[in-house]
Amino acid sequence: MITAGVDMGIQTIKVVILKDGQVVARSKAASGFEPTKAAEQAFEEALKTAKIAKADVAQVLATGSGMDMAPFANGTTSMMGTDAKAGVHLFPTARTIIDVGAEEARAVKCDERGIMMDFVVNERCAAGAGTFIEAMARALEVKMEDMGPLSLKAERASPINASCVIFGESDVVTLIHRQESKPEIARAVFDAMADRVSAMVHRLGVNPEVVLVGGVAKDVGFVASLKRKLGINILIPENPEYAGALGAALIAANRAKGAQK
Amino acid sequence: MPKQSREKKYVPELPEKESEELRNAAKTMSVKVMADNIERMKKTNPTRPEAMQYYDEVANFFGQREKEILEEKAKGKKVIGYFCMFAPIELILAADAIPVRVNSGWYDTSKLGDRVVPVEVCPVIRSTIGAKMVNLSPYMELSDAIISTLTCDGMTKLSEVMSDYTPIITMSPPRVKDSAQSLHLWKEEIKSVKTQIEEITGNKITSKKLREAIETMQRATKAFRRLQDLRKGNPVIMGRDAMLVNQTSTWDNIKRWTEKTEALCDELEKLVQQKTWACPPDTPRVLVTGTPMFWPDNWKLPTLIEEAMPQGVLVADELCSSDRLLYDPVGIDEWTMDDMLNAISERYLMASTCPCFTSKDGNEDRINWLINKIKEFNVNGVIYYVVRGCMLYAMEYSRVKKALDKMNIPVYYLDTEYTREDVGQMKTRVEAFLEMLTARVDF
Repeated sequence: MITAGVDMGIQTIKVVILKDGQVVARSKAASGFEPTKAAEQAFEEALKTAKIAKADVAQVLATGSGMDMAPFANGTTSMMGTDAKAGVHLFPTARTIIDVGAEEARAVKCDERGIMMDFVVNERCAAGAGTFIEAMARALEVKMEDMGPLSLKAERASPINASCVIFGESDVVTLIHRQESKPEIARAVFDAMADRVSAMVHRLGVNPEVVLVGGVAKDVGFVASLKRKLGINILIPENPEYAGALGAALIAANRAKGAQK
Repeated sequence: MPKQSREKKYVPELPEKESEELRNAAKTMSVKVMADNIERMKKTNPTRPEAMQYYDEVANFFGQREKEILEEKAKGKKVIGYFCMFAPIELILAADAIPVRVNSGWYDTSKLGDRVVPVEVCPVIRSTIGAKMVNLSPYMELSDAIISTLTCDGMTKLSEVMSDYTPIITMSPPRVKDSAQSLHLWKEEIKSVKTQIEEITGNKITSKKLREAIETMQRATKAFRRLQDLRKGNPVIMGRDAMLVNQTSTWDNIKRWTEKTEALCDELEKLVQQKTWACPPDTPRVLVTGTPMFWPDNWKLPTLIEEAMPQGVLVADELCSSDRLLYDPVGIDEWTMDDMLNAISERYLMASTCPCFTSKDGNEDRINWLINKIKEFNVNGVIYYVVRGCMLYAMEYSRVKKALDKMNIPVYYLDTEYTREDVGQMKTRVEAFLEMLTARVDF
């Protein structure tokens, strides 16, 4: 059976094509101003890579904050549900999935079937999410992808306010004026984010194993800070940014099977 | 309205022209929102009871009920407004006055309230101040006095701000419910309110009048409970409709409301016999608890729950703006004035699950109320709803969560503001929660 998942993220759209439980293609595109068009293109591209005709796809499910903007999908499924499904698929022992994306961070508790049992979402503020790194990198005048490696050079972190992206940015400017070292400021940025995310996870209860997914899971600086804060090992899959799309494709397979019965 | 020449201690003077423009804009929006809410309620349930039409009309703040109260005022009746459900309605009715609840559910006026108090303050308070600043609420404008119970910090200071405009009757409930003096203190408050109502209305509250008023409210409770019972089985009425029925009782003529609600229940019983359900019987059953939700703007969460994919149905709530309103009757042993006042004191204090109280066991009454409702109404999940700045409800969450975890009932904490802008984010969360409930029901 062939199914597909489309994760309509705020910054990036991700597509996964699944054939009999195996990922056969991935693609992504910037959401931009026309997310529907971008999603269609990304879907076409993934089909081409997998050498699969659209008609052979049994079901397509959309997820992500723009899930309503993928008209070619057969339905939608929540981001928390896809996190749980993908997390347990990737690591069968996973019981807590943390997903840090561009504008949102969330944590999901699940059972061995990948059914979500509880979840928390960061409260209407991007200070715990990827955008925070982007804003801070801008203030530090370094590339966003260099922030992580830079932070690993620091022994300690500068003090920083993480309650808000805007205030955080002015804090960073103050630190720059005080001539604190860039690595220490970078580490402070990740520590601050990890503080927010770990507080959120603690509200849910930390049930091992813990899996980290979402675009920010690729940032070595954030991963190091989060591991320090939580004090436990964190599992990170390859291609963590595709977890949402993968979960959607897995749920699509379940639904398609259910429909066959 | 005669111009009041009170010295304004809190509120800035608002030029008449600006006030009028703001009022008109808010009113236009409000009319649209009320119509839209009702339209959507109709759309959600194609078998919506015909009896709901009555409540749709009463729900219009700028409609028939306003005219009716104006006419009664012209004949000499007084109107007593109130903020919290601690206001003893029986005493207002016994003085031949009209009780109306005047908390604001308008989003737009909360921005006006920001001119008087900081944005950190609960939006129910800010919006109520804003509504008064531009004279938006007909019931607030018609009130000869407003009973303000000093429950939370917001309500306490609101009564001061509002006294810039309207005579305020304050009532101070004891914070510790089960201490030896509490009921005694509260009874003194009730007696003092009785005297003040008599002064404002010029009508003496006699034993005969009070007995009549108590019996009127007991009949209202009976109708209210009948509707509650109908929500325990397969969904025959959507939660938003029941919520509207409950809430209109706070400004409608209560005798007429009782008759209409009995008629609604007759119709619902027929629907039950025909097995005509408001939504599929396996729809996840949700209970909402937390900050009160006021018509018309703050219909956001119940609308999201009942329009979501997957859909949920609100079968019960623990809100002082809905299912808690008429739940408890005044229980009388003997119809003497003293006994009646005792019974009223007990009903308004002891039965309350408001988080402004504590006791030896904390607010255990609220936990028990929730546990009982969850069992009685077969609830699958709870949404704990808090608006920013609503400290008491926010702080009790951890305790409620622990108690519900023990019952294996999922609970989701949802915080929001008096704004339309966060509907998208709320939708994501509500839908994920309902999806989780559906998955739990399925397996």
